[in-house]
Amino acid sequence: MKMQPQIFRRIIRNALISVFIYALPVLAMFLVLYVRGERPWKTKAQHTVHTGHHRQP
Amino acid sequence: MKIVESVFQNLSTWGLPVLVLTLGVVEFSLGLYKKHWDNNERILDIVCYTVPKLIVRPLVAYCGLKFLPLVLPDFKGAFEWVPFWWGFLIICVADDLTQYWYHRLHHEVPFLWRFHRTHHSAPYMGMAMASRQNIIYTLFFSQTYLTTALVYIGLGYPALFAKGVKSIITTLAHSSIPWDKPLYQNKWLHPLAWVLERLISTPATHHAHHAASNDDGIGHYKGNFGNMFFLWDVIFGTGIITRKYPSVYGLQHYHHEEWYAQFAWPLLKSSKEGSELAANGPMVADETSTPQEPEPIPHTTAIPASGHIVPG
Repeated sequence: MKMQPQIFRRIIRNALISVFIYALPVLAMFLVLYVRGERPWKTKAQHTVHTGHHRQP
Repeated sequence: MKIVESVFQNLSTWGLPVLVLTLGVVEFSLGLYKKHWDNNERILDIVCYTVPKLIVRPLVAYCGLKFLPLVLPDFKGAFEWVPFWWGFLIICVADDLTQYWYHRLHHEVPFLWRFHRTHHSAPYMGMAMASRQNIIYTLFFSQTYLTTALVYIGLGYPALFAKGVKSIITTLAHSSIPWDKPLYQNKWLHPLAWVLERLISTPATHHAHHAASNDDGIGHYKGNFGNMFFLWDVIFGTGIITRKYPSVYGLQHYHHEEWYAQFAWPLLKSSKEGSELAANGPMVADETSTPQEPEPIPHTTAIPASGHIVPG
């Protein structure tokens, strides 16, 4: 039994929209952090270097 | 915040099983399973509830947390810096949209249907059948792997809350206790109902997905795929909102296959003639599981007094 062509087309179309939806909250987070001038990943990196919780290069 | 944290931590260990058990006892006491919960169904429901929790999930978590450091050594805790609420939102979307697709493909790709059929064969709704799945469906369940990966990369804390909220919503959507009914009966609650039924799965929308027939205009087994969020069905046009509950659940041509065949197909087959789970059974036996193009929800919809969605 094969999938109906219209079902297949709709799956492809909706999957492409899903890629955008997956990315949306990640992009929104970086946008808000950028606007606020916050760089939490740098703070974390500095913290780990000072406390020695992260491997040194 | 400590209290909330403690609630969600306990929910992820003993809290959810207690909630499920309590609801199950209430449902059973109220006679909501009617006379459908026979011995075969009972064994299947209990096996499906216990095996994933006791074997599959701990095994995947253990192997995943051993395997991930080998393939992604630099990613351990790499995203611990993500602010809590952003982490919560990212996980809610990533987790539930992935499950929406996993679920939808099992309905729309004929080859996959039989791995998900066990969840739909129950002629009743409730806690007993909420975890009822074929073992192969459970093994490849994307969320199990996603959670392990999220914990590894440092998003375990927001994942704890996202998973907790999701568990409550999906559990209550499967319950035979229609907690959403007062929202439709009281006019002053209609604005809240309008938002909730589009945002999350409710008993009305999810029960429609488990209906045995679409003929009554309430059942919609070819859609309403959302688990935590119903929003995906609204966006992709796969949902129908009626604010009513189907009168018959399950599959139109259910053969009451042996519990072990439903649990472990294709490793174990059914002896029932004509069953989709039999050795020479059809991939999709009846109209119930034949994927067809559902009517999409228009983006502008209105719900009249009858409760049925009509184009706005």
